Amino acid sequence: MIAAAELDRLVAYEDLPSGGSFMVFNATRDIVRIAQNFAHFFARESCGFCTPCRVGTQVLRRTIDKVVSGHGSEMELTEVEEIGRLVKSMSHCGLGQTAANPILDSLKRFRERWEDRLGTRDFVPDFDLDGALSEARALTGRDDALAHLDR
Amino acid sequence: MRSFSIVIDGQEVAFEPGQTIMEAAEEAGVYIPHLCYHPDFKPHGSCKLCTVKVNGRYATACTLPAAEGMVVENLSDDIQADRRRLTQMLFVEGNHYCPFCEKSGNCQLQAVAYYVKMEESFFAHFYPRRALDASHPDIVLDRDRCIQCELCVKASRDVDGKNVFGLAGRGVQTRLVVNSESGLLKDTDMAKEDFAAHICPTGAILVKRIGYQIPIGERLYDRQDIGAVGNRQPVLKPRE
Repeated sequence: MIAAAELDRLVAYEDLPSGGSFMVFNATRDIVRIAQNFAHFFARESCGFCTPCRVGTQVLRRTIDKVVSGHGSEMELTEVEEIGRLVKSMSHCGLGQTAANPILDSLKRFRERWEDRLGTRDFVPDFDLDGALSEARALTGRDDALAHLDR
Repeated sequence: MRSFSIVIDGQEVAFEPGQTIMEAAEEAGVYIPHLCYHPDFKPHGSCKLCTVKVNGRYATACTLPAAEGMVVENLSDDIQADRRRLTQMLFVEGNHYCPFCEKSGNCQLQAVAYYVKMEESFFAHFYPRRALDASHPDIVLDRDRCIQCELCVKASRDVDGKNVFGLAGRGVQTRLVVNSESGLLKDTDMAKEDFAAHICPTGAILVKRIGYQIPIGERLYDRQDIGAVGNRQPVLKPRE
């Protein structure tokens, strides 16, 4: 993924290697949603043979979904970068080795678009405690104040 | 005769032409963390725990043949940190509860986790729903603990000659399946003496009624780490 300022770069093995396809997005498109779409695609495409790609693409998908849903913090962006690098360097085949590229590229070139998405809190846990309590509420038929987390 | 050697973390390690980095390291007593590799079988290269840097490039030690002049980075902080993340991925992808797992202390996944200094799961748990198969009178198959290393598949097919297991599905939905019409272990000819019943590096395939013969505290990895003990199982089928 490159920015408008780099349009003079070459689609070539030595510069921007490509399987022969490229996509052009205009300014109305949301970079984060594009990266999210790629994350979902590769989480689905991973064959599951090796750990970094099988689990790593799932982790990337989940973490980016969390950011898009407005529950992300700087910590999630750091995690996406770290796991993206790991999936890239440790995966068995070309799919895993390139799956994180659109995500990492967009973070490198359009980081402010990602930062626009971050919530105001320093950290939101991945585990939704109140969500987990909803099953118990349904089973016990309770809906009083004590059966909810005080938020 | 000419002798060949590679360097692993500064230590010279001899190898025979044709040996992988892992084989040369094992022979020299140098531990490279691994889970899906087993010396009796062709390397699989899927868990990626044995990833090392060879002359600066990532490679799996179990699949890469050693070559003269290789400089291998194995236990550096960076590589161990990556292995820690991989191990955490294996933990959150399945349902691994060491405190009440009867394999605890004899489990390679747990032992590797300690070895790479994993102290928490880091990622949110996936909590997958995986079917348990307790149908066999002597063996239990708990897919929650399966890490898809394929060692049971190979042991059953290549050593036991029974071809009981296979991996089916793809991606994160990959599951260990049983080769019988019902899909249940009771309808196979698997026996508790089979190599496949004893090769699982985690607690996914367990022989029933022996879980607590060795008390917690006296188990394989309770007193020494896996780097010193190696990836062996407490109950090994004698090899012919």
